[in-house]
Amino acid sequence: MSDSERRVARGGPYVGSPIIMATVRVVMPFVFTFGLFVMFHGADSSGGGFQGGVIVGTVVLMLGIAFGIETTRDWIGTRLPVALIGLGMLAFLFTGIGSVLLGAGFLEYAVYGDLGIPHASKYGIEFVELAIGLIVAGIVTGLFFAIAAGTKGGESA
Amino acid sequence: MTPLELSVLALIVGAAFATAALKSVLNSVVAFGAYSLSIAIIWVFLRAPDVGLTEAAVGAGIMTVLFLLTIVKTAHPDVERTFERIDLKAAGVALALVLVLSSTLFALPAVGDANSAVADDEVTEYYLENAYGETDVKNAVTAVLAAYRGFDTMGEAAVVYSAGVGLLVVLNREVFG
Repeated sequence: MSDSERRVARGGPYVGSPIIMATVRVVMPFVFTFGLFVMFHGADSSGGGFQGGVIVGTVVLMLGIAFGIETTRDWIGTRLPVALIGLGMLAFLFTGIGSVLLGAGFLEYAVYGDLGIPHASKYGIEFVELAIGLIVAGIVTGLFFAIAAGTKGGESA
Repeated sequence: MTPLELSVLALIVGAAFATAALKSVLNSVVAFGAYSLSIAIIWVFLRAPDVGLTEAAVGAGIMTVLFLLTIVKTAHPDVERTFERIDLKAAGVALALVLVLSSTLFALPAVGDANSAVADDEVTEYYLENAYGETDVKNAVTAVLAAYRGFDTMGEAAVVYSAGVGLLVVLNREVFG
């Protein structure tokens, strides 16, 4: 291994190119919006929580590649992705248990109409898709940070 | 089969062989990304845009980035040859597996066959007729996934949750603990 290669391997995947930074800055809000669109609009067109969650997670990956993974992790924090995963799973569970408490079957969204929610099954499905999206986005960002952190550990990591 | 579909199929097979045969791991990861992306295109041709979107986002997008991140931290020696030397025994085992799996091909109905169980099954017809009326959702795939089979989807989410949390615990302990 030559000296320059060793330096690249030590420095990790971050290159700090202004082109990548500018592109990510412009593209990021659109990708984020598209991810939310895929999540919410999964009810009426192709898409859904799993796909939308991955696209939303991609935003964090792009930030990490453009501005440095360490910086992004310090900015977001390591706890937030894990908190999102748990929140999504709990939201999904309580949507199911809530409908049982209201006297219907597990995850029978129509019963939420009794609470005055219009189109209860549609919004119920979209809420569950959002919960799935939270789980997937949290796991994608968490894995990204965890794998990237391994570069610090030197040879043994 | 149109020429476009044929060329995408050729791309899939080529990318799959390249993934297996290329010597450098970096080259293999790039070939694997191309393979995933072309599979995603095939899903769209087969009228399964939901699956195509997943394959493109997860297989071609996230997996490639995670693989690249992983090989960045490994030592990559200078590669003197482009292709791996093919191990004949391993190739024989792989070929046998492909042959065994291909024997199930004849049991499948033709793509778009109107008489196949997929198209005229009672359950399918019930979903197609009642999904919109019962769930207010235009995409029948979502209606089945989140409403009719909501419990299964919750199990899927629970699997993703447990796998992800387990991996994060192990990786973080390796790194920080």
